[in-house]
Amino acid sequence: MHDIIIIGKGPAGISAALYTVRAGLDTLIIAKGDSVLIKADKIDNYYGFENSVSGRELLKAGERQAERLGASIVDDEVISLKKDEHYVVECTNGEYMAKSVLLSTGKVLKKLNITKLKDFEGKGVSYCSTCDGFFYRNLKVGVIGYGDYAVHEALELEAYTKNITIYSNGFDINASEGYLKRISRFKTNTKKIVKVDGEEFIKRIYFEDGSSEDIDGLFIAYESASSTDFARKLGILTKGDSIVVNDNQHTNLPGLFAAGDCTGGFKQVSTAVGEGAVAGKGIIDYVRAL
Amino acid sequence: MSIKIYTTPTCPYCTMAKKYFDSKNIGYENVDVTGDKQAAQEMIDKSGQRGVPVVEIDGNIIVGFDKEKIESYMK
Repeated sequence: MHDIIIIGKGPAGISAALYTVRAGLDTLIIAKGDSVLIKADKIDNYYGFENSVSGRELLKAGERQAERLGASIVDDEVISLKKDEHYVVECTNGEYMAKSVLLSTGKVLKKLNITKLKDFEGKGVSYCSTCDGFFYRNLKVGVIGYGDYAVHEALELEAYTKNITIYSNGFDINASEGYLKRISRFKTNTKKIVKVDGEEFIKRIYFEDGSSEDIDGLFIAYESASSTDFARKLGILTKGDSIVVNDNQHTNLPGLFAAGDCTGGFKQVSTAVGEGAVAGKGIIDYVRAL
Repeated sequence: MSIKIYTTPTCPYCTMAKKYFDSKNIGYENVDVTGDKQAAQEMIDKSGQRGVPVVEIDGNIIVGFDKEKIESYMK
């Protein structure tokens, strides 16, 4: 059991970890891949650097700093986040438990360009199998995605229907070994999707090659699960695609904090680091009061 | 005032909606659509969609847990 699990290793997550680990909290950072900051060649507006620093340098130095102070960093993809008595963080390669969690995943822009997809949100298109899966009992549902997150969502939907297709939208299925073993129980379709259509509710999905299929429901689990995907399933308040936090970076769920780009606002290294520090302090107070 | 909340047991926003009314000591009828096919259809017909929670306040339909909208209908 960790005191705090930080999801994401960008400036917000690492900054929070510096505070929590120095306060003696057992701190685990889980992240797959790098922050979008890695694409920044030159950063000239962050305090303390006489010369330009690259995003890569800053990120790597931050990771080394957190590890030097005693934080553990695990390279793994977080698939689901659940709240039981404690928080349970399910990853591709294992499961972790913590008293508190910080969401600092950044804000990933998911590039899903499908005509009319938005028109059918709530009318067959859903982002939350946990919330809406029930309405698709014994119906034909699809999951749009190609990674572990998509397979995980398909497995969750199995409680309601066996007629499940994973639509990878032109990508090869890129799931880890554990999830690949279970994918054979679903149909897969790797064609690129161009459009969905229907009347009051979604009825059909159309592909680039001119073919189409009937569909009753479509669950979006594209790329990796983002902070807002976790938020939807846990009932965290959001505004648009940003997580709502209070002055301590605390969400409406006790023990769940958020910092950095996923909370919206000014997307800068300095603000992310500041929010991370505030979250770190909030987490320390929260865990110590338990 | 008549308040009905269409819910499923696994939906976290349903719990939040119910807690909101509980905290204000406002009574409501909780309709668990997982156990009632007719109620599920009634909810879809009223809200034109398949997501929970759906809150009905004196015939006004609110999809999702939207505190501001709920409060505007309770004035």
